Amino acid sequence: MTDFDAIVVGSGMTGGWAAKELTELGLRTLVLEAGRPIVPERDYTEHKPPWELPFRGMGDRRAVAARQAMQRNSVSFDELSHVFWTDDVDNPYSTPADRPFYWFRARQVGGKSIIWGRQVYRWSDLDFAANLRDGVAVDWPIRYADIAPWYDHVERFIGVSGQAEGLAHLPDGQFLPPMELNCVERHVRERMRQRFGRERILTIGRVANLTAAHNGRAPCHYCGPCHRGCITLSYFSSVNATLPAARATGRLTLRPFSIVRELTYDRRANRITGVRIVDAQTRAEREYRAKVVFLCASALESARIMLNSGVGNSSDQVGRNIMDHIKWGGGTGELDGWTDRKVIGERPNGIYVPRFRNVSTRHPDFIRGYGFQGAAGREGWRSALRTPGIGLAFKQRLRELGPWSMSFWGFGEMLPRAENRATIHPTLVDKWGIPSLHIDCRWGENDLAIHRDMNVTAAELLEAAGARNIEAPRGPSTPGGTNHEMGTARMGRDPKTSVLNGWNQSWDVPNLFVTDGAAMTSSGCQNPSLTYMALTARACHYAVDRLKRSEI
Amino acid sequence: MERRELIRWLVASAGVAALDTLAPDDLIALGRDVHARAGAHADPLISALAERILPGAGDAGVPAFIEKILNDWHTPEERAPIQAGLKQLSDLSRLESIDQANPDWYARLKYLTAYGYCTSEIGMRELELWPPPSRYDECAPV
Repeated sequence: MTDFDAIVVGSGMTGGWAAKELTELGLRTLVLEAGRPIVPERDYTEHKPPWELPFRGMGDRRAVAARQAMQRNSVSFDELSHVFWTDDVDNPYSTPADRPFYWFRARQVGGKSIIWGRQVYRWSDLDFAANLRDGVAVDWPIRYADIAPWYDHVERFIGVSGQAEGLAHLPDGQFLPPMELNCVERHVRERMRQRFGRERILTIGRVANLTAAHNGRAPCHYCGPCHRGCITLSYFSSVNATLPAARATGRLTLRPFSIVRELTYDRRANRITGVRIVDAQTRAEREYRAKVVFLCASALESARIMLNSGVGNSSDQVGRNIMDHIKWGGGTGELDGWTDRKVIGERPNGIYVPRFRNVSTRHPDFIRGYGFQGAAGREGWRSALRTPGIGLAFKQRLRELGPWSMSFWGFGEMLPRAENRATIHPTLVDKWGIPSLHIDCRWGENDLAIHRDMNVTAAELLEAAGARNIEAPRGPSTPGGTNHEMGTARMGRDPKTSVLNGWNQSWDVPNLFVTDGAAMTSSGCQNPSLTYMALTARACHYAVDRLKRSEI
Repeated sequence: MERRELIRWLVASAGVAALDTLAPDDLIALGRDVHARAGAHADPLISALAERILPGAGDAGVPAFIEKILNDWHTPEERAPIQAGLKQLSDLSRLESIDQANPDWYARLKYLTAYGYCTSEIGMRELELWPPPSRYDECAPV
């Protein structure tokens, strides 16, 4: 006898999708979330004016140093949004002293889908066939044709604004109207076209922010701080879209404050019987049983649960092959002109330069490649501090805008390597006594060569645009710092060398599915959430089909 | 507000049950907060300096913001050179030349003055940074 048909561990980007698909397909589904409930009217703070914040946006530095010294390194961590990251003291992990790894974690209903960057790009067979072509790690068990209909399915529901460009290696999707490039970005796009033709193009970012009313959610009103929530539901998060859809079926049970200690396993039947949880508030333990379990707890957390449970790891690949995207390469330059023009409103989106390395030609120094995100803009009142002056003249200068500048920030593919690995720490436990992870991960030579090339080509793009004072960022980033960690329970074609089959299903235990970033066999250079969501929806339909046929 | 009532309110707004649960640093910060809000004036030198750098800073509450950052955000090591610098400024007669030279301690105070003003309600409304425009125009005339 089971309590539910399905259990989903995690309520964020992929857990929300699993909840929606499984309940809509008729399954009574329990979603377990380690953190607290989120009530948009209470917990979203994007419209709070700065003067109501004790530190006016600079953050409570002492409190953050004491409790969130690692989490604060996230780019979207601020005085208000810090509540959407975990407490580092309650949730410890370790790394080798000389190899830091940033493990950004979110524990609340919605997970990191509340604070994500919302950039969504499809993969193509340039990515899915890459490991096979290069002889790296193992081959993906799927190709673009397998996932394309699921990209459609996800994009239609979440709402993606973007510009179709007809690129084979960055397929177009189901787009709402694109956001506009500003005048300087249009100039840079045109100069790049003149210099590089179709090889290097600049397009508006593809972003899960609405430019038109969509599925009962309002279009974006350009207020800016998306990472604090969105009361008009204008960007996609599980709280804003998938969880309400799941709730509408009447088959969803969402249990917050439920930390999964381990999967329970029936060795004789070779089935996961359910999960054992710790109540985060009372510390009481209890077990839930279901026919099928989906791990959607984030790449490292799902691996941690599997390792702590001792299931699904006959390949010895669980926890290995950690990948992130290498960043902090690129460039910024100033452009003369357009001094009579400015941008009004905060566009929650930038530009995108799709990958151009190792697409039609081969680079001598590295395989794979990177894309650039970025934007053009003008500095506001801070530019008044660049030159001396006090009194009314200084006050007047606070109104003036600085010169236009254009930035490109690279996001580079990281190769999977078995030695980049998370293991269960022999002694370290979290606040609830659950063994923590030891994470050992570093960039490889190919990753670093990609990073070096970002600075070279960003300067070429900026020179083509006529920019001056070109500066490169100080990189590379710390592994994990892009918060695109993935690969710790990879899909593959062979149970000996991979954890999951082509349906995100455990090779070892057929009623266990892992559909978050853990499933990724390579990292691509595109922001990964869209692919996680598409894989999740696809796996849910497969699992329900097999359940109905009593095959799992 | 009565001092005792103020303490109770500040403790409640800090989300703590009782004073004895506070760390020493937080207790000191709370004490300063009580002191600042119980009618004591911001440091007159900081008030005068902020007003000279940016007329209207006082009305916008900038001096209290600067003190809050100096006391509760900066470390003692960061605070010391700023306080030492402030002593050189006691009558503000050298302000113009110090502004030209722009030493680090002064640049920080000037930055905090501008930051405090541009995040205050008075300042943001005056500079038309608030309310948000609720639209996007990618290429508007200045």
